[in-house]
Parts: sequence; C-alpha cells; structure tokens
Amino acid sequence: MALSVKHLLGIKELNAQDIEQIFQTADNFKQVLQRPIKKVPTLRDTTVANIFFENSTRTRLSFELAEKRLGADVVNFSASGSSVSKGETLIDTVNNILAMKVDMVVMRHSASGAPWFLAQHIDASIVNAGDGTNEHPTQALLDAYSMREQLGNLKGKRVAILGDIMHSRVALSNIYCLNKLGAEVVVSGPPTLIPKHIESLGVKVEYNVKKALEWCDVANVLRIQLERQHKPLFSTLREYALYYGVNKQMLDSLEKDIVIMHPGPINRGVEINSDVADSKQSIILNQVENGVAIRMAVIYLLSGKRDMNE
Amino acid sequence: MQVKINKARVIDTRSAFHDQLVDLSIENGIITEIKAIKKPAARSFPSITVDGVESWKGTAGAEIMISNGWVDVFADYREPGLEHKETIESGLNAAAAGGFAHVLVAPNTQPAISSKSVIQFILQKASGHAVTLHPMGAATQNAEGKELAEMMDMSANGAVAFTDGWKPIQNANLMLKALEYVKALEGTIVQMPIDAALASGGLMHEGINSTALGMPGIPLLAETLAIYRDIELVRYTGSKLHITGVSSAESVAMIRKAKADGIAVTCSVTPYHLALTDDMLTSYDSAYKVSPPLRTEADRLALVAAMADGTIDCIASHHRPHEWDAKTKEFEYAADGMAVQESSFNIIWDTLKEYISTERLVDALAVQPRNIFGIEHNPIEKGGNASLTLFSTTDSYTTTTANKKSVAMNSPFLDKQLSGRILGIFNNNKLHLNK
Repeated sequence: MALSVKHLLGIKELNAQDIEQIFQTADNFKQVLQRPIKKVPTLRDTTVANIFFENSTRTRLSFELAEKRLGADVVNFSASGSSVSKGETLIDTVNNILAMKVDMVVMRHSASGAPWFLAQHIDASIVNAGDGTNEHPTQALLDAYSMREQLGNLKGKRVAILGDIMHSRVALSNIYCLNKLGAEVVVSGPPTLIPKHIESLGVKVEYNVKKALEWCDVANVLRIQLERQHKPLFSTLREYALYYGVNKQMLDSLEKDIVIMHPGPINRGVEINSDVADSKQSIILNQVENGVAIRMAVIYLLSGKRDMNE
Repeated sequence: MQVKINKARVIDTRSAFHDQLVDLSIENGIITEIKAIKKPAARSFPSITVDGVESWKGTAGAEIMISNGWVDVFADYREPGLEHKETIESGLNAAAAGGFAHVLVAPNTQPAISSKSVIQFILQKASGHAVTLHPMGAATQNAEGKELAEMMDMSANGAVAFTDGWKPIQNANLMLKALEYVKALEGTIVQMPIDAALASGGLMHEGINSTALGMPGIPLLAETLAIYRDIELVRYTGSKLHITGVSSAESVAMIRKAKADGIAVTCSVTPYHLALTDDMLTSYDSAYKVSPPLRTEADRLALVAAMADGTIDCIASHHRPHEWDAKTKEFEYAADGMAVQESSFNIIWDTLKEYISTERLVDALAVQPRNIFGIEHNPIEKGGNASLTLFSTTDSYTTTTANKKSVAMNSPFLDKQLSGRILGIFNNNKLHLNK
C-alpha cells in the first residue's frame, strides 16, 4: 500500500491511514535497527539529497542515517558557503542537484510554504524537514510514535505543548498529527508566543503552565529560541525559566507521572531543568532513536518500493 | 480626425442624453453632434467610423456604452529606474486597453517622484498618448518618511496629489504636517492604510488561514489603527485625505462614520480585494501576495456593500508590475502586488454586476475620481471635450499572456474569462480601440 501523497510536505495533507501506515512501517524498521547489521538494501538504486537552507545538526544527521540504513546514496547540501549566497534561486539550486540524477529531496527552509512552492516546479518527491514557522512533519510523526509507545492508542489522550507556539513548526505539525489521531491538545506559554487564532485548529489555550501539566498525560516542551527575547515577546530568560520552565518541583507536585518530551536541542535551565530532562519520565532520547525509524519509513513509503528487506 | 460612434448608450447622469441610444460625432476632440435615436432600426448595429472608414462594427445583440473617460487613481509604472517591470509607454497602453483615460501614478520609481524634474520627465514621456498621466508626488523627500518634499513646486509642475505610495507615512507628526502643508494648494494626501510596526514580518492576513498555514500574519489592526489615526489627523487639520486600498469591513465602517461627521476623507478599493479572499493562499501561491493583504469573505462582502452604497468612492488598480522572476519565489521572498490594470473593469464587473448599477460603476470609475483629484469633467454633450470610455457590460473578455499590453507577468487573472469588455477609449483627440 502506498501513501495518499507523493510528497511529505505537511501533516495537514496526510490522513489517519497514512499516519498509521508510517507507524507500522516504522515498527519494522525499528526491528532492523536492533540487528547487528542495521541496514537493508531496499534503496540501493536511489539517491537522496538533503538540502538544508537553514542550520540543522540533529535532523540532518537523523535523515542521513535513515537514508544510509535504507541503502540509499546520500548527498548533502547546506546553504552556508553555497550558491544560494551568490543569488541562485531555489528552483535553480534544486534542479541542478536533480540534473545529477537525484531521486528524492529532503529540504529544510526558513520560508513557510517553500516545499509547496518547490513541489510546483520539480518532479522528484520532496520530504519537508521543516519550513519556516509552518511544519516539521517527521518530527510530529516521531513524537506521536513515541507517545504511542508509552501510552498506546492516542485517542482521548491529553497532550500539552509548552513554550513558543507561535514560531514553532514542531507545534503546528504536532497539533495536526495529534488531532488526526484523536488526542486532545492544550498549548501553553506566554500569551505573546501563542498565535491569536490557534483555537481555530481545535486546541485549547492555557497560559498557566502548572495547570497545563496537571491536565495532561504528556508534556511536549519546546525549545525557546534565545534570540526571541530581543523582539518584544518576553522579558528575560530568567523570568521565562521561573514562570514557564518545567522543573522537578513542579512535576513532583502533580498527583501523577506524566511523560516529558522535547524535540531538542535543549536549553537546560531555561524551558526545562536537567532534573526533568534526565528523569525517568523523560523520553527525549527515545524520540531521537525513533526519529531514524520514522524517517526510514517515510522515505521508503515515498520511494514506491514494495519490499522492505530487498 | 473625425470619429463617429453610432448607436451607443450614454451613461452620464450629467448629460441630457443619459441612458439614451445616440449617434455621436467628434471632430478634433470636440463633440460636434449628438443625436438621440428614438426608434432604433431593427437591423442596425452599433459601429465606430474614423474619417469615414468603419473601424469597428458590432454584431447582433452587441452594445456600446459610452461614459466619461475612466480614471485609475493609483498605479505603478516603474519608469524611471525599473523599466524592466513597466515603462510609462507599456503602462499607458495597458491603461488604454483597460478603458482608463486618466491614470494617477505613484512615486514608486528610482529616483522617486519627489522633485519637479522627475515630474517633468514623466509628463514629457507620457505626452502624445491617448491616456493622460497624472503623477502623484512623494509627500516626503524621496518617499523616505523623514522630511516634507517640495510639494508646492511639484504641484505647480503637474503633480495631482501627494503620497509616499507603498511606504505610507508612519510618523504621526510628519503626517499631520503633510496634511497641513497641502492645504495651501487645496491638495490631497493619498495614504495606504498600513501601520508598518504592526504589520512587520507579516506575510498575509492574520486569521484562521494564516494560523493553519503557519504563516506570520498581518493583524487587521495594522490597517484600522492607521485609518483611525489618519481620520483624526484630518479632523484636526481640516485637510483632505484619500485612503487607497481599504480592505476590511471595519475600515469601511470607520470611513462611513468619518464621512457622516463631515470629514474630508475619501477612499478607494482594488479590484482584487473586491474579488478575492485569503482562501486563495492555501497553496502558498505568491500570485496572491499583496499589500494590504487579502482578507476574509466577510470583509470582501463589506467592501462590495460599500462600493454599492458609495462609502468607497472609487477604484484604484494598485497595478504593481513585476517580472516573472520577482514572483516565482518562495512566498516570503516573492514581490508584493498584482498587475491588473488592464483587467480591472472585468474583475470588478465579474464580481459586482449583480450588486451595482452601471451608473454607480461609472460614478466610481469616472465621476468621483474627478471630484477628488480635481480632474476636469467632460460631460457627453454637444461642444464638450470628448473624453470617453467605450465598453460593454454584456460581452466578456479574456486577458492573456499574448494579448496583454503590460510588460508585467504577475496577474492571476490572466487567461480567465471575465464579464464585460472594453472596446476602447477616446481621449486627447486620440482613439484607441482594442482589437
């Protein structure tokens, strides 16, 4: 069975069946990753280009490992020191790469909607590795997959997303994904970092982080972009850490154990304290591990191949 | 040159021939004869002859309507400086094709229209064309929003109004002084309603769609706050303000109230704000990236109602020409604006034909702009200067990449069949007929 889409541009374009199929495929690849030889030759005839117009370490590493463990050839392109700084357009850059017989493009870009734009102009399948303040679909998939491992079926489960909702593509993709899987979502953070119309996406808003934590089964704590404090969005990191950061004392005061997640990289002592990030409740490293299996599943399913082990 | 227009319906409430079929003769730019047709012969078709030679003949059911020549109150031609986007000549050709006999151009040139010499250059370039060009001078030097420009000198040399165009004046005190300064000229300041600080970083209307698309939004407040401020500045100064590009229900409500208070504020709307909403942006198509942004269906309907009741005085094409490359980019990096001058009437009529009369259409396109900007009225009567737009409200037209006159590529209305057809214009003793 194939996905209902040719590209993975955003979760908003997937249906619940697509998501379920990605999860099932990821289950199989997760087993592959436990083997002594963590690799299948499925995509040995396929070349994937990771095109990153914005800095990324972990997402690119995760994609690259996923591609290599599927047996694909991999090329990496990053914007710094590239032709982009010489004024080349996005279409020209990608077409130049595709002219060298590349089959699939994984792209991160600072402009919202850039993968949709690219999809109008090129033939190859595109995987969105994050676009502006819009979507980061593989992150949302690996987040939901990791939650499912802990909690089982997500229908009716309560997820709190904490922090900078306005600028977070992780938040938006998570909201779409969790909605499609039947979970309830609350977003929480400073009012200046919560989009005015966010409730139209079927989520609730709670400015008090403590109350959000009391309500939820899972808290997905988002990274605060340190440079935001100079745009008038919040006062100081100190105040943010005091009133919006998640610490051990807060968790201990809850009458239950909740699951703690973070997409990384973590600002320890700002949005999350080390005693929480490294606690038993934290599944941050499971998320990282699952990221490779999820990305293998997405790339495999978009490649149109039929047999995972061949 | 002698031009005869036969069996045309006059739409001019100032003329004794309003809503009558007439035969009309023009010699050397003056209407020498106009005769009502009491009982049209069954098989006589409308026609246009030039010096005795038939230039156009209608078929059965065809109609010609004639009105005073239309005025586009806000367009960009990018000469001098950015001629690859639009020259004065290509722009005026597009205007003629779109039925406009007069065009007010914004100072969005390099250098900006901010001195007598640029005014003179533009007027000299436009001379001899069927379309009359009226430069708007920058209200502040180089449209930089810092110090007042030489508005008296520009006015004396042909500037018809003053505006900083796409960079509306942000400083309230500077805006106040500009409004006061032009009182000596009985001048008008033209302002696009945008608070730049509130709009900063935004790419589309802030609302349900921008939230779902993960796009930075421009709050409606960026427009309404600017309008509120400027209305109060006009109330204080007793000057005249024209707000161009109103895009929301709240905006027209505020302007309706200001007019009722007797404040000299007028406004215009673009064809695309009447026709489109932010639902067009769901595929991140930069063709729909405009400023002010496309808003909601409720806003659009309020604009249509305000066009019908006259709260919105007139139409501004906001013709903003760009080359293909400037638009074919990631949404964030793509240039703002649509080049729709020559499709303006078709877009408006396609949208409004069930809501407004032909008289109101002509009022918005020909009468109100003359009142606001002090352009001479040319009633359709014997002995009058002939400035005419010839059009059909029943026919339809498709502007295409092949037949368009503008150099620009950025119109999402290209290749779409829309209601109404412009047959041509007669102005400056020149006849322009669309083929």
